[in-house]
Amino acid sequence: MFVLALMQHFVISRLLVLHTAPDLMALFIAFISVSVGQRTGTSYGFAAGLIGGFLSGNLGLEALIGTCEGFVAGYFHVPEESHATSTRKKRMFYSASVAALITGNALRSLLHDPLSLPLYIRLPEALILGPLMSMVFAVLSYHFVLKKLLRD
Amino acid sequence: MTSFFRFIARHTAYFYFLLYCSISIMLMQLQRKETLDAIRERGLAANAAIAEQLSGFRSIFSLKQDNERLFLQNARLVSKLRHQELAMRDASAIRSLIDHRTDGMNRFTIARVVDRRFSATDNMLIIDAGRNRGIAKNMTVLTPDGLVGRVIEVSRNYAKVLPVINRNFMVSVLTDSTRTNGLLSWRNGNEGIAQLEHVPVSSTLLVGEGVSTSDFSTFACRGIPVGRIARISKDKLFYNVDIRLAVDFSALSHVMICPDKPTMEKIELMESQDVPQKEP
Repeated sequence: MFVLALMQHFVISRLLVLHTAPDLMALFIAFISVSVGQRTGTSYGFAAGLIGGFLSGNLGLEALIGTCEGFVAGYFHVPEESHATSTRKKRMFYSASVAALITGNALRSLLHDPLSLPLYIRLPEALILGPLMSMVFAVLSYHFVLKKLLRD
Repeated sequence: MTSFFRFIARHTAYFYFLLYCSISIMLMQLQRKETLDAIRERGLAANAAIAEQLSGFRSIFSLKQDNERLFLQNARLVSKLRHQELAMRDASAIRSLIDHRTDGMNRFTIARVVDRRFSATDNMLIIDAGRNRGIAKNMTVLTPDGLVGRVIEVSRNYAKVLPVINRNFMVSVLTDSTRTNGLLSWRNGNEGIAQLEHVPVSSTLLVGEGVSTSDFSTFACRGIPVGRIARISKDKLFYNVDIRLAVDFSALSHVMICPDKPTMEKIELMESQDVPQKEP
C-alpha cells in the first residue's frame, strides 16, 4: 500500500489532464472493499488516506476521503460464499471503482481547492473526467493483475 | 444486552466508518490549528527526499540534452563575460586617465588604441580620434605614465601614431636632476628599452634618473616623462645610455593626445640655412 501511495503521489498524480489525474489509491481501496468487505475496505481506505495525507500534507482530508471511498465501495462487496461468476466480480469491481472515484473526487473538489477554480469547472472535472481517466487504469489493472486475484 | 451486541456486530462497518471519519475530522481541525506541524514537516521532508531521488533518477535519461543545453548556455555566458571584461577594462583605463589629469592636462583628448602593429622592426598604433575631435599631425600622444609617440597621419575619425619604439622616432629629452640634454631613439629589439644619444662623456648622468621631454622637441610638450636611465656605459666621445621606458607598450589600451601643435615658426627657423649668403 505504501509503494502504491508513493507511485500515486510521485508518478500518477503528474499525469494531469485538465487539473485531474488518475487515482490508483481509490482503485486499490475499491478492490479491497469488493474482495474482502466493507469494514476492511473502510480501514484500508483510512490507512491509505493517512499515508497519502502524510505525503501531501493534508492528513485529515485524505484520511476522510479514503475512509469514504472504502465505505462506499464496500456496498459492492462480493462475499466468497456467494460463488459469484467472474463477470459479476468484474462488474462489481468496476461499479465499486466508479463509486469510490466519484465519492473521493467529489469530496476532494468540495473540501480542497488549491487552484481556486469555480465549482462549475471543478465538479465536472472531478465527477466525469477524473473517474474516466482512472477507469482506464481500472480496466488495465483488472485485466492484467486483479482478475487473477479475484478468481483466487 | 445480547441484542445490542448483535446489532453492533451486524453494523461494525458503520461504526468503523464513523470512528475513522471522526478521527479524520479531528485531524483536519488539528491541522488547521497547526498542532500537527511536526508530522506535516516530516511528511514534507520525506516527500522532498523521495522527489529528489526520483528527479536524480529521471535526470540520467536527460543527461545528453542537459549537457548540450549547458554547453550552449556556457558559450553564451563566456561571450557575455568577455564583453563585460572588455567594457570594464576600457572603463578602468579611461578612469585612470581622467584621474591622472592635472589642471594643465584638462584639454587633453582621450582616445582608444584600436589597432597596433608591433614587430621587432616596425611599430605603429592607430587611435580612434581624428580630425573630428581636433587631432592634427605632430601632436603628442601620451599616457599618465609617460610619452607614447606622436601623430603622423590623421583621417576623419582615426589617427596614426608613431610610437617611441619605432626606428624613425626621435625626441629631444632632458634628465630630471642633472639637466643633461640628449636625443632619445629606439633601435630594434627590446620594446621596453630605448637609447639616449649625443650625450658627451663630459656630462653628468645618474642611473635611475628620470628622463623627460625638453623644450627642444619640435612636437612634444615639455616635461612629459619618458623613462628612467637603466644603464650607462662610456664610448670615445659619447655615453651609451639605455633608458627603461615609462610606458608599457604591450598593455596600451587608451592614450591622451596633447592638443598643442608645434609652432611652425620655430620649425621653419630651425630648418633655415645656418650661414647667411654673402651679399655681392
